[in-house]
Amino acid sequence: MTRLLDLFLARGRHLALALSLTLIAAPNLAQAHHSFAMYDQTKIVTLNGTVKDFQWTNPHAVVWLLVPSASGDPALWSIELPTGPGNLARMGWSKHSLSAGDKVALDINPLRDGRSGGSLKKALLVDSGKVFIVGPLAGPKP
Amino acid sequence: MSPRTLLIALCLSLPSAAAFAAESAQALDPAPTSKDWAAIAALPDWSGVWVPDVIDQNRQIKTNPPPWNTKATQEVVELTAAEKAGRPKGLFVDCLPNGLPGLMLITHNPIEFVFSPGRVLILGESDGNRQRRIYTDGRGHPADPDPTFYGHSIGHWEGDALVVDTVGVLPETYLAVSESVGVANNGDLHVVERLHLTAPDTLTDDLTITAPHELTAPWKTSRVFYRHRARQDEFGEGVCLQGKFVESVDAHGDAVFTPLQYAADGSPLPPKP
Repeated sequence: MTRLLDLFLARGRHLALALSLTLIAAPNLAQAHHSFAMYDQTKIVTLNGTVKDFQWTNPHAVVWLLVPSASGDPALWSIELPTGPGNLARMGWSKHSLSAGDKVALDINPLRDGRSGGSLKKALLVDSGKVFIVGPLAGPKP
Repeated sequence: MSPRTLLIALCLSLPSAAAFAAESAQALDPAPTSKDWAAIAALPDWSGVWVPDVIDQNRQIKTNPPPWNTKATQEVVELTAAEKAGRPKGLFVDCLPNGLPGLMLITHNPIEFVFSPGRVLILGESDGNRQRRIYTDGRGHPADPDPTFYGHSIGHWEGDALVVDTVGVLPETYLAVSESVGVANNGDLHVVERLHLTAPDTLTDDLTITAPHELTAPWKTSRVFYRHRARQDEFGEGVCLQGKFVESVDAHGDAVFTPLQYAADGSPLPPKP
């Protein structure tokens, strides 16, 4: 893991919600559903923040994340999951996996154009330590 | 008309009358008999949910690409370049069905088989409208089928393999190798498939795709699906358009769908500001 940037804010109430941006070498995960070529699949960025909302719908579930920023107002990130409830359930997810207010660390492939968006690879719930992965469904499960 | 001429005329008219009678009889689907249901019990067990091998899909596109003609090659090169540049076209973002052969070639969601007297149904998860109906009652293709996304399919069993012949696919349906690279088949598409188990829980679809307006030769390719039996892995309802809406409550207090809103830069906004 190569840590390129580690920002800790030292202002007011956002002190506890420090943002850490971490770039690491990407594992070779299979993408699911539609083309996710708009995301940089050679990079994984870890976002630390608070879940604003979690939409459990087809064709892609979406999580909105509030990430503390240097300007004071948290930045809103929209993070797409590369598939919907059917395949996500097969990966161990449910509509209750993420809820508004959850403190999380999300590993994402960031948008290549610099906007605050990404494709979710892994979600860690900070308080419970639970981890949800988005990955390939390999092999039979008879 | 002499009696002899009348007799000849009557004889000549008999075959067409017989053909008409046969066609009329075929126009009805008879109620299945207990023998018909028993025949289904003798078919191979394809129960469960069949999850596509997406890694193999991608590998096959690289190792065995379609024999595109010159026109299609130019389009594919442009679409591939756009994909590599991070600007994928998004062939299915309109939520229209994958159609054939896309459902079998590039889907990332599972399929399910339903055997019934005279037909096999292939259901597909995800866009809410994936349904192939394969007639196994011995009928032929209609002379002039209404084009549809999944076409008109007839099938028969050769041992434990289901052989399916499909025509009548809409010309707009993509001959797609990914969700961002594909070319409209532009008509006269003909797909022959051989579906069979290659291991107890592995199903292979060997496809021969003939698309005379886009391919220089029939494209032979295969796709692999793995059986899942866990209830957690069963089909979920998948309505593609649902993702373009958020759950909301209107002025009457009624639960309603309202269109997903987007920020100025195109990023989707959360349901509650």
